[in-house]
Amino acid sequence: MSITLPTYSRLEIPLLGRRQRVQAIIATGLRKELRRPAAIVVTALGAAFTTITSIVLLFFAPFLLPGQAHDLTFFALPASNGFVLFFVSLMAAVIGSGLIADDMQSMAFTLYLSRPITQSDYLLAKAAILAPLISMVTILPLILTALVAALLGLFSWTIALEAMGISLVVGGLLTLFYTAVTLFLSSLTRRKGIAAAGVFAVNFGLTIPAGILASQINNPSILYIAPWNNYLAVAGAAFGASGTGIDWPQALVILLGVTVLAGIVTYIRMKAVEVISG
Amino acid sequence: MLVETAGLTKVFGEVRAVDDLTVKIPDGAIGLVGPNGAGKTTFLRLLLSLLRPTAGTAKVLGRDIEDGLAVRERIGYMPEHDCLIPDMTGVGLVSYMGRVSGLDRDTAMSRSHDVLQFVGVEEERYRKVAEYSTGMKQKVKLAQAMVHDPQLYIFDEPTTGLDPRGRSEMLDLVGTIAKSPGRNVILSSHLLPDVETICKYVVILDGGHQIAAGELSQLLSGATDRLRIDVRGDRDAFVRLLKDADFDADIGPSGLHVSRKPGLEAAVFETAKSLGAEVRYMGKEIRSLEELFLELVARTEKPGA
Repeated sequence: MSITLPTYSRLEIPLLGRRQRVQAIIATGLRKELRRPAAIVVTALGAAFTTITSIVLLFFAPFLLPGQAHDLTFFALPASNGFVLFFVSLMAAVIGSGLIADDMQSMAFTLYLSRPITQSDYLLAKAAILAPLISMVTILPLILTALVAALLGLFSWTIALEAMGISLVVGGLLTLFYTAVTLFLSSLTRRKGIAAAGVFAVNFGLTIPAGILASQINNPSILYIAPWNNYLAVAGAAFGASGTGIDWPQALVILLGVTVLAGIVTYIRMKAVEVISG
Repeated sequence: MLVETAGLTKVFGEVRAVDDLTVKIPDGAIGLVGPNGAGKTTFLRLLLSLLRPTAGTAKVLGRDIEDGLAVRERIGYMPEHDCLIPDMTGVGLVSYMGRVSGLDRDTAMSRSHDVLQFVGVEEERYRKVAEYSTGMKQKVKLAQAMVHDPQLYIFDEPTTGLDPRGRSEMLDLVGTIAKSPGRNVILSSHLLPDVETICKYVVILDGGHQIAAGELSQLLSGATDRLRIDVRGDRDAFVRLLKDADFDADIGPSGLHVSRKPGLEAAVFETAKSLGAEVRYMGKEIRSLEELFLELVARTEKPGA
């Protein structure tokens, strides 16, 4: 075998900064996900179903919801669309559960950390891969609904634009929550199936029992344990709709608190993994 | 200096994986050897700034390991274990790692082709890593460590799991890198012949401590007051007769070892004649790295020996 070392020199081309390195992880991760049939199907179906059902609700609101006022409060309805909960769970499970777990399983995490990036860069990049895809279900349909409503003259542009802004904030909150929680679950295991099951457990395993229990014992404070109920409370308040049985400030604190906590714990977990696997 | 540590210590619970390690490692090809649990991998991870030392300081290529990003920009690391992303192609993975190291897209792709050609992964570069043999995976691991053309390469057991041909190819590649100007190599291996082949300087660790460090040629040349004798015949009887003649002799893995003393040469040949044995070599004591290693480890296990 004849071998010669390439003659290039690193010194001739300065290395790009951390931002570009993180961008490389994000771009490669997104490209990889957008080539996976499962990820494409779930994202496309999620965006389509939530958008279509929200727009259908827009058209049929006078028949389905006779007393519903045509003001900003209307947009609390598409924000509380049950398809959002279903598809956000599905997307988090199909796309997000493997983002860290797969790197643990293949031990590629070591490769990443041997590069000039930090654990927080790695986590930030993984979050930036998942968040835009989740926002296809949590933000995009709400904005499109408000846009269609304004284009069709069903709502004034003032209300529609306000609804779009609020949708961006509440949808963004839900996106951040599911991104943080999904990455946390993904960091706990090398098997993405377990992380995916965890996502469903967090959603349906808490939302359904909380709803049943709260109505059975007539104590709405139990609803706080389900992230979806907290989101509904915050979204309802943001759009000026009537209450959902729990107070939005507490709900907001819970959502933000869990998001931040999940982020911190995932970071600590990432710092510890290299030691354990060594 | 390639690496300079002062009192470097890393403690996991009650285990002192690296214990008060003070070492100055010069530029070049460096071997890092030691038994399992000696602290080699922990030491390498400290150098990569993947672990924070419990105490002490270390500099790699003149930079403090506290500045992990700057250190890792200059290091290419080939881990021991399988660590490749299975659903990427060889060229895709190497290029991706180049970009994560800070190369722009075009440069990363161009260099990934160069280094894959260098390591001998050519037509297969467009296949997914999951389909590669162990030897090809090792070569891709080497290529990803090379893609950003670092000043220091850290190879952790690069020949693990390879067949003899693969091992020979890998050693050729590592040797070529080690001989290239401006590039330095730290080779961690428990396969001591690999280290002997590649390295000029060696650091031997045991129990987190440095038990020896220096130029390999100096470490392997034994004490000047002892001779090594290769004998064909009854070696036990040979040693016994030399001891009876008041010579300090013992049997080592590479032959008999006898302290120099007036009359030694004559005594050796008389003993050979009396036993009908054949003296095949008598000269300076030169040990293999394995012998040196076993001797040093035995010494640390029996303090005072």
